[in-house]
Amino acid sequence: MTTSHESENQDMQTSVKPSSLADVAAAKAPKTPGTSVLGTGLETRGVHAWFGKHHALSNISLDFAAGTVTALIGPSGCGKSTFIRTINRMHEFIPGAAMAGEVLLDGKDVYAPGTDVTKIRLQIGMVFQKPNPFPSMTIGENVLSGLKLAQLKVENKDELLEECLERAGLWNEVKDRLGAHGGSLSGGQQQRLCIARALAVRPQVLLMDEPCSALDPGSTLRIEDTIRHLSDSMTIIIVTHNMQQAARVSDYTAFFLSDGGPGQMIEVAPTSEIFSRPQDSRTESYVTGRFG
Amino acid sequence: MALIRSVFQDELDNVSQSLVDLTAMVATSMQKATTSILTSDLKLAEEVIAADEKIDDIQHESDTNVIGIIARQQPVASDLRALVTALRIGSDLERMGDLSHHVAKVARLRHPNAAIPVELVEIVRAMGDAAVRITEKTGVVIATRDTEMALEVERDDDEMDALHRKLISALIEPTWKHGIETAIDLTLLGRYYERYADHAVSVARRVYFLVTGKFAS
Repeated sequence: MTTSHESENQDMQTSVKPSSLADVAAAKAPKTPGTSVLGTGLETRGVHAWFGKHHALSNISLDFAAGTVTALIGPSGCGKSTFIRTINRMHEFIPGAAMAGEVLLDGKDVYAPGTDVTKIRLQIGMVFQKPNPFPSMTIGENVLSGLKLAQLKVENKDELLEECLERAGLWNEVKDRLGAHGGSLSGGQQQRLCIARALAVRPQVLLMDEPCSALDPGSTLRIEDTIRHLSDSMTIIIVTHNMQQAARVSDYTAFFLSDGGPGQMIEVAPTSEIFSRPQDSRTESYVTGRFG
Repeated sequence: MALIRSVFQDELDNVSQSLVDLTAMVATSMQKATTSILTSDLKLAEEVIAADEKIDDIQHESDTNVIGIIARQQPVASDLRALVTALRIGSDLERMGDLSHHVAKVARLRHPNAAIPVELVEIVRAMGDAAVRITEKTGVVIATRDTEMALEVERDDDEMDALHRKLISALIEPTWKHGIETAIDLTLLGRYYERYADHAVSVARRVYFLVTGKFAS
């Protein structure tokens, strides 16, 4: 991952050799037949976000290479969730919210005039902190609900259903009760059902906003296994407050911080570097628990 | 009740202090071992040999403590480097204790005779003094995490290497008259001092890594 050198906060940001990114991406060729094409990845350029007059996020420039997992860490209120909501244009749902900058998916700005927002959200899926399956729909209907809403047609729904549940690590647990309601599953299973639902529309990018914060350690590990498996075929960005989780699942980690003003990105580097020898003293203080 | 982070910081400080204490013990051990071999003092040699067990115990206790902290606190960044480094420094110090013990055992083996011929006493004394000086400086490096001083220890080791070469040169002189047994004793003693100082250098280099995250070149 590299940071933009056009940034006004350039001195706060750390560059990582692009060759390391290429190596990671090259090592992650798609393995699952029928999965989406990886594409060239995702870039944000000088992204700012506001809630009314409140400047929440300042000048975030990041590259997310295809097939990598990037963890966003930082104290509450530093703009991590706001940042990922700018990526799939969910930020604009909030009254008074505004953004500036560019979000490039395969080189095309998702904010370009005339862009089909629904199509963007099919390409950039999202999993939320709290599992949110449709409780009155069956497990099968939940998985396929995205297709129905987007009016997409598939030749073999059963095959797609099995593939998505398999990739989300849930198939073996629910294959004999696909007609049961989504609400009848445990919290961890519901979250994996939401991941399966996101996968059904074959996104290139999956955004995950604290996906394990409401789950027990066993369910958390199963979700983490799923993340590692999915990163073979898509780009994943995960917001987490769990340092060990960031260390376990991500290839790159970006540290965000607000010093009272808008949230900024302080440092981005390969995860092993962030957790063994971070360059910025604020990153060091945060990951070692000295503040936040 | 103390905050979790301050408890952790106290634990890290205790690990560091335990290594400083161990360094002081190792320096004392080498000082006594050198005196025992220069003066054929059996009582002092026995004291050094007995103290080695204590050094081993403290190192094992320190390792157990560090492993427990890693398991409970899941440290990262400089905290992780400090704890991994502590394990390796403990191992170096334990080995330095062993080398002092070996010097004392030569003194005990040759007692009541002198193990060192008169003309080589000054070289061995100088090696003993250099060993203690380097160890004391290493203790300061562990306590202060002074990276400049850490690099100085490496330069100080050059003095030990020069003394070692001088000792070996004396042993291979055609005029050597003290027999093979004494030559072997002195070869081994020279090696013990030289390796002892190398371990001190290794400790200082590990402190450099702990502080900077980079290996000293």
